[in-house]
Amino acid sequence: MSNNKPIAESIAEYAQGIVGGLLFSFPLLFTMEVWYAGFLAQPFQLLIMVVATFLLLLGYNRYAGMHPGTSWKDVVIDSFEEMGIGLVMSFLILLMLNRIQLMDNSLDEIMGKVITEAMFVSIGVSVGTAQLGNSAKEEDELAEEEDQQHTTAVKRGEKRRSTKFALVVLALCGSVIVGGSVAPTEEVLLLAAEAKPIHILFIALVSILLSTVVCYFSDFKGTDKPNGEPKLYDIVFETCLSYSTALIASAFILWYFVGFGGNGLWIITSQCIVLGLLASLGASAGRLLIK
Amino acid sequence: MTDNEKEHVYKEDEKNLLEWTVFSVSVLLILGILGYLIYQTVVYKPGSPDLDVTYVNDPSPHAPYRYFIRIKNDGQETAEEVQIEMVLELDGEEMEVAMLTIPYSPKQSTREGWVIFSKDPSEADTLYARVVSYKKP
Repeated sequence: MSNNKPIAESIAEYAQGIVGGLLFSFPLLFTMEVWYAGFLAQPFQLLIMVVATFLLLLGYNRYAGMHPGTSWKDVVIDSFEEMGIGLVMSFLILLMLNRIQLMDNSLDEIMGKVITEAMFVSIGVSVGTAQLGNSAKEEDELAEEEDQQHTTAVKRGEKRRSTKFALVVLALCGSVIVGGSVAPTEEVLLLAAEAKPIHILFIALVSILLSTVVCYFSDFKGTDKPNGEPKLYDIVFETCLSYSTALIASAFILWYFVGFGGNGLWIITSQCIVLGLLASLGASAGRLLIK
Repeated sequence: MTDNEKEHVYKEDEKNLLEWTVFSVSVLLILGILGYLIYQTVVYKPGSPDLDVTYVNDPSPHAPYRYFIRIKNDGQETAEEVQIEMVLELDGEEMEVAMLTIPYSPKQSTREGWVIFSKDPSEADTLYARVVSYKKP
């Protein structure tokens, strides 16, 4: 076919993805709790993790990926590729770090570690491709010409990005990336267990404040909203949306990595709120990053 | 330019061989993993850890009374903070106890370590290693 994409261009794209993936996931590849989580997780937990990550990738590629306005078919293909790259990268890095020994470890252990790490690597690959890829390519494309079709597609992409559903998806991605790097560590439980109620209250208030600030600046300043000043309703709504998304994401990652078994309701709430501080910043900043 | 051609200009470039390869490998990998996990989920039976300890005399220049210990978890669950003790006995009396702690012993996996005695094990009449305790992760 004449309009095949040049191999060099796809190599560059994969390289961006891999670099991005490592950038976001190296902290987790170097965290022992994540290796432990790999073999502590039950098969159904791993299964849920894989499915959840795939849905997250679909969502992210749909609403923020490097080709705004693409069809679902491309989104699905991209997501498969990203997860595949994530799995291979995670396997190779863990092998290099001597965290998996092909002879001594059981298949369960190897699979658990590789899959758990790969989920973060693939989200990183997705964000990396979108973030590192955009700048260079878009300039090229803009320089080419004012292509009618192109601009409508970009508009379509922009419109898609501003829906409430898109906000939730991006908030989820942001929370998982930012919260995920801390969730497996013992410190979250330690902070939650040693905090007095007043500390938890302040953590929650600061999280909400941060979300508000980020929502206000990312959404209304700089973008040309038709009526200029943001409505109070919008700010309240979006803050609530991003904070509650962050809490749900926190609960999910904590359940996966440390589990809530045996913990009282107060500790579970505290754990979620403590991790929610990071996750909420991720949730609201997810949009800043994605612009 | 006709509408049709315009459509063609914008459309993403066709995928090349490399991209199709990456895509197909990824799909196979992911389907394989899903299949593996679904199989594991179906056959999964809850159970407890079950540790097997084996040891062998393994002296080194600085530790002549050293033993190499291998722990294999044949159970269905990971054991955490595994404590293993190795005991030297003479006439039913304990001569010396050496301890080994392993942070995790994942199911179906092996962990290894050494214990070192200060007394000569050949003076003892009984020598055994056993798992003292482990905790549910």
